[in-house]
Amino acid sequence: MLRRTLLAAAAASLAATPAFAQASGPVQVGAVEILTGPNAAYGTAIRAGLELALEEVNEKGVLSGRKIALTVEDSAGNKDQAINAARKLIGRDKVVAIIGPTLSNEMFAAGPVANERKVPIIGTSTTAAGITDIGPYVFRTSLPESDVIPVTLARAKARGVKTIALMYANDDAFSKSGFDTMKAAAEKAGLTIVAIESFGSKDTDFSAQITKVRGLKPDAIGISALVEPVSGVLLQARQLGIGKETLFVGGNGSNSPKLGEIAGAAADGLLVGSPWFVGKDDPTNQAFVTKFKAKNGKEPDQFAAQAYDCMHILAAAIERAGAADSEKIKDALLQTKYSGVMGPFTFTPGRDPASTEGVVVLAMQGGKFGVAPQ
Amino acid sequence: MLAQQLVNGVLLGATYALFALGFTLMFGVLRVINLTYGFYFSAGALVALWLARSLGWPVWAALPAAAVASGVLAVVLDWVLLTRLRRIQAPELSSLMVTLGGVLALYSALTSWLGPDIRRLPPEAISAEAFQVGDIRITAAQLLILAATAVLVGGLLLLMRGTRLGLAIRAMAEKPDAAQLMGINTGQAAALVSFISGCLAGAGGVLIGLNFNAIHPYMGEQMMLRGFVVIIVGGLGDIRGALLAGLALGVIEVLTAGFVSSSLKEAVAFLILVAVLWTRPSGLFGRAVMRRA
Amino acid sequence: MPPWLDDFLWTYQNLVHALGINGLLALSMYVVLAVGQLSLGQAAFMGLGAYSSALMTLKLKLPFLLVLPLSAVVPVAFALAIGVPTLRLSGVYLAIATIGLGEVLRAVYLNVDLFGGALGLSGIPERGEAWMIYGLLALAVLALWLVGRSGIGRAMEAMREDETAAQVMGVPVGRYKMGALLASAVLAGLAGCLSAHVSSFIGPNEYGFEPAVTILSYVLLGGIGTPLAPVLGAWVLTLLPELLRGFSDIRLVLNGVIIVLAVLFLPGGLLGMRMKRRAA
Repeated sequence: MLRRTLLAAAAASLAATPAFAQASGPVQVGAVEILTGPNAAYGTAIRAGLELALEEVNEKGVLSGRKIALTVEDSAGNKDQAINAARKLIGRDKVVAIIGPTLSNEMFAAGPVANERKVPIIGTSTTAAGITDIGPYVFRTSLPESDVIPVTLARAKARGVKTIALMYANDDAFSKSGFDTMKAAAEKAGLTIVAIESFGSKDTDFSAQITKVRGLKPDAIGISALVEPVSGVLLQARQLGIGKETLFVGGNGSNSPKLGEIAGAAADGLLVGSPWFVGKDDPTNQAFVTKFKAKNGKEPDQFAAQAYDCMHILAAAIERAGAADSEKIKDALLQTKYSGVMGPFTFTPGRDPASTEGVVVLAMQGGKFGVAPQ
Repeated sequence: MLAQQLVNGVLLGATYALFALGFTLMFGVLRVINLTYGFYFSAGALVALWLARSLGWPVWAALPAAAVASGVLAVVLDWVLLTRLRRIQAPELSSLMVTLGGVLALYSALTSWLGPDIRRLPPEAISAEAFQVGDIRITAAQLLILAATAVLVGGLLLLMRGTRLGLAIRAMAEKPDAAQLMGINTGQAAALVSFISGCLAGAGGVLIGLNFNAIHPYMGEQMMLRGFVVIIVGGLGDIRGALLAGLALGVIEVLTAGFVSSSLKEAVAFLILVAVLWTRPSGLFGRAVMRRA
Repeated sequence: MPPWLDDFLWTYQNLVHALGINGLLALSMYVVLAVGQLSLGQAAFMGLGAYSSALMTLKLKLPFLLVLPLSAVVPVAFALAIGVPTLRLSGVYLAIATIGLGEVLRAVYLNVDLFGGALGLSGIPERGEAWMIYGLLALAVLALWLVGRSGIGRAMEAMREDETAAQVMGVPVGRYKMGALLASAVLAGLAGCLSAHVSSFIGPNEYGFEPAVTILSYVLLGGIGTPLAPVLGAWVLTLLPELLRGFSDIRLVLNGVIIVLAVLFLPGGLLGMRMKRRAA
């Protein structure tokens, strides 16, 4: 989003200017996302989803015709900047709610800030454990891994998988949390874990770990990491001779079209559970996909879809609240009953998504995701 | 499994050695803490990617072209960033700082322009075929890396030990003032060393990008810390040392991950680094020459 | 307090804290550079201070007024342990050794459950306050300024110019180097404790190579003429991302370019190199 602040004015603008009166004029909503730096792909996808939904919402507006004004701040994946961004949105822009941040790490830092000021903050892509425990103003619309992974593993088991090796990135909060979930779910499902190997999210060589796993010949290999290391593992695994007979199971990090772009044919057959899927056949979703493609020149991914729904959910909550008031919006959010591209959506009393019926198990084939065959 | 792990280790080590060759030259000969080396690595890979994808060049043509491009880039950046500092005889830290700032700006600019995404060379660029010998699998790209490392190391040693240019470079590394008095044009020699280092970086970037199938602007940055370990353990400016240290590090890392615990893999390099610095800072494989760094 | 001022302070609270904490970190870098040592262990010391103090608050439930001074203990112990073999190194070798040690510590934080692994430690109560940060900063600046003006300061400058000559003139270089390292550990450790207690969450990736280099850049920008100089450098570089917020895409590029221009055209740093001292 274009920022009109110039460098000279920036210094002057650091001195606070009182915000608009809240009774009329646009309803201020903020978002903190990663727009620059290594994980920018996620944040920019989310922003695209938010902006598309915003256009739709503003056709009619909320609260009798008021438009929603969205300010997106860049955290660059940096915890400090996420905190500063949240503080700026709340303290200067006087937003009634914040969407984001992108990564679980950032939510742990910025969530308490919003919570302290009683401003609802809604994560659309944060899936680590403990997010909503931060406080009563912290929500998330992203299904935690603990809801998705058991579904994927159940499918693997139905295909005859009995033994599994687990690999994960041990230096990233999301991946580690996903691994904890995978391990617990595998144990609960009665699978035998034959090996646990870790690597760094920025590693490019996984040959040692893969060779070790190869020797144990597990039925399946579960990987919890962001999409780049997952792709690297897959590519090297194929190089080292792990073939179709071993089923790969991915966590939420694999749920990205970049997997197909980077890993290509090496990713064929990988299973991943997703709350959404671009080919989902219902009219709401297809309308969204078409519109998104027309506006952005490419298909949406899961991050854009979740953000899209979230903006609609927030708009509906603002409408239900009857005022641009954070406290009322928070209460209104708890009463959400919304049906979007992710399917039917309500919050649990703990402010997590209540329904897992939208989860579909996908399989990667030829660089694209499709519904996994039984 | 041990056999395959050893092969894995040697291959990983070869990539480290490949990265370290130009780095140790730059560091050891030019005596400059130059953090831009990683950037030349990335640049080489990206140039090759562009040549392969947009112009359809095959690898054997893209590789040398990318190497030369990186070499030229190195000479230019050196000139822009470091000439003024050399002229005012700024402290060593300034070259560290200016190359740090420069590389930050360059990486960000590159990422802004191209996006942080990982790209692959087109699959036709090199055969994905893997060869199986008994229990061991190795791909064509990996064999290429081994061959390239051998050729480059051999070529560099030949250059340094067997040619007058090499002699001039070594003289400059030992005592720049004396070398100048002896009639060696140190300015030209320095530029040449920059060029060679840049070429090596670029070639390394292409080969390693090919092997791991991951090319993105920050790839050079990720190799830098390992690069430091290799050149310190091998001895600054020591080509043979870089090779041996690189191979050793690769093998140790892989064996640790494979037989001890994969979570220690990252720490191993730094434990080795600290151990070497505490006991024999001039390097394990280099000559024990006492040098002020 | 008028509401707009209240809002302003709240909005920039994190920034205000960061300026103070980064000032302390810059000073911790300054003390070692002042004796001519390119030790880059400040981020590692900060991590030790942060983790040990967070654990003291979370697990031992100690009051903060006790935790703050105690947070310097672990970094100092570590400095003592590694000081002797590490301080024998010089120049870039010392820098790399300290970076290596920082990475080893990072591996420990990632792999030992007590430290929370990749998830770090969260839910740290917000016990740190701006007055504590700035109070310590002012004390540190004052103390270092007094030392700098004294005979010790002169000895340190001599060491910086030429260590061998200083040694010949009777300066106990070994002791001063260790002293500087310990001071650096204390300052960085305190900074780490305060940082952990104002931002509720710490993770292993905050104390590695990149933060160490950032701290170095504060001092290189500001210079080491007086203790105030590195603090100024820290303030400029901390404010820069915020001031450049409007330029999101090219922000990092500008950041880098500014550093390059500053080094090329202000090699002595923003405040110049020499400290004014009373005649001997």
